[in-house]
Amino acid sequence: MGAMTHAGAEPSVDSVEPARWQRAAALFVRWRDGDARAMDELVRVMTPPLWHVARAYGLDQALAQDVVQTTWLTLVRRHETILDPQAVSGWLTMCARREAWRVGKLHRRADPTEIESLEPHLPAQESAEQTAATDDESRRLWLAVGQLNERCQRLLRIVAFEERPDYARIAEDLAMPIGSIGPTRQRCLGKLRAVLEGDGWGGDPDA
Amino acid sequence: MLDDLAADAALFARMRAVWERLDPVPADLVDRMVAAVAVEDLSREYALLTLVEASTLAAVRGETDTATLQFSDGSTSVLLHVTATESGTRRIDGWVDASALAIRLAQGEREWSADAGEHGRFAFDDVPTGMSRLRLVVRGADGDLHDFQTPQFEV
Repeated sequence: MGAMTHAGAEPSVDSVEPARWQRAAALFVRWRDGDARAMDELVRVMTPPLWHVARAYGLDQALAQDVVQTTWLTLVRRHETILDPQAVSGWLTMCARREAWRVGKLHRRADPTEIESLEPHLPAQESAEQTAATDDESRRLWLAVGQLNERCQRLLRIVAFEERPDYARIAEDLAMPIGSIGPTRQRCLGKLRAVLEGDGWGGDPDA
Repeated sequence: MLDDLAADAALFARMRAVWERLDPVPADLVDRMVAAVAVEDLSREYALLTLVEASTLAAVRGETDTATLQFSDGSTSVLLHVTATESGTRRIDGWVDASALAIRLAQGEREWSADAGEHGRFAFDDVPTGMSRLRLVVRGADGDLHDFQTPQFEV
């Protein structure tokens, strides 16, 4: 954990277990060292966050699943290009983001109304039990996020599921510029808090 | 500063929980991804299915020929039916008696994927003639995933 000194890292909420990026890194190293089964576990650990990253781009379920699969196949084919195995989770989420963006752009061109109709992401099929179980606080948070612009919604969802041990190094691996993700994230969080407070929600006691 | 980070992290954790509940990962997605990666990963050691039965005609030579091959490891069986197409390529109709999550036909460097439909049926259209091998990942009766490959066979 000593290496996690870069600015903007999310402190792990579950501090007892190793962070997901650490588990992913350890599994990736084992796989590269010849333990083929370690890949199964890596896929199990990282598929859920990749799903949420893909969905953050407003893709429907089928397209989002395609994006997740393409991301995994890209890892198997191009894993030699990952210089730092510690960065594998960031590499995967970045790969999913690029693919989701590409697929989203193609799809938008083909059907310009599709993306609009997906905003805000309304729960597609919630069962009665789930609806009853969704407490008021969660509902208000959901609605507040839905009031943000598309860019903020996407960014917050990606950041919520993305853990990056070293953003700069991943950007280098991918030959991508380091964006102004930090300030933008703070702006989006600020807007979200403003909406929540306007709504009379005091559920952020540390703020 | 640290308080701000902790407050941000807490808010992100709440958002994560809401998205996990309202837009959950599709039930079968993780297993299907494990299978898709398994058939792609040639560094794996696949359990070998052995040829248990082949029609008297070992290979299809002409349009009227058909060949049938059956592979098994004792619990999982795959049946392949090879026919010639008008253009001289092959069509392979297959059937597997387990829930298949990924199916791949390989000829050297070239590969084709198929999805198992109802009752374990799958098909590869327009396959060139040559030595081929099938790899597949199935969900066993125990709920676990198992990956298999067949020996090489001629189509």
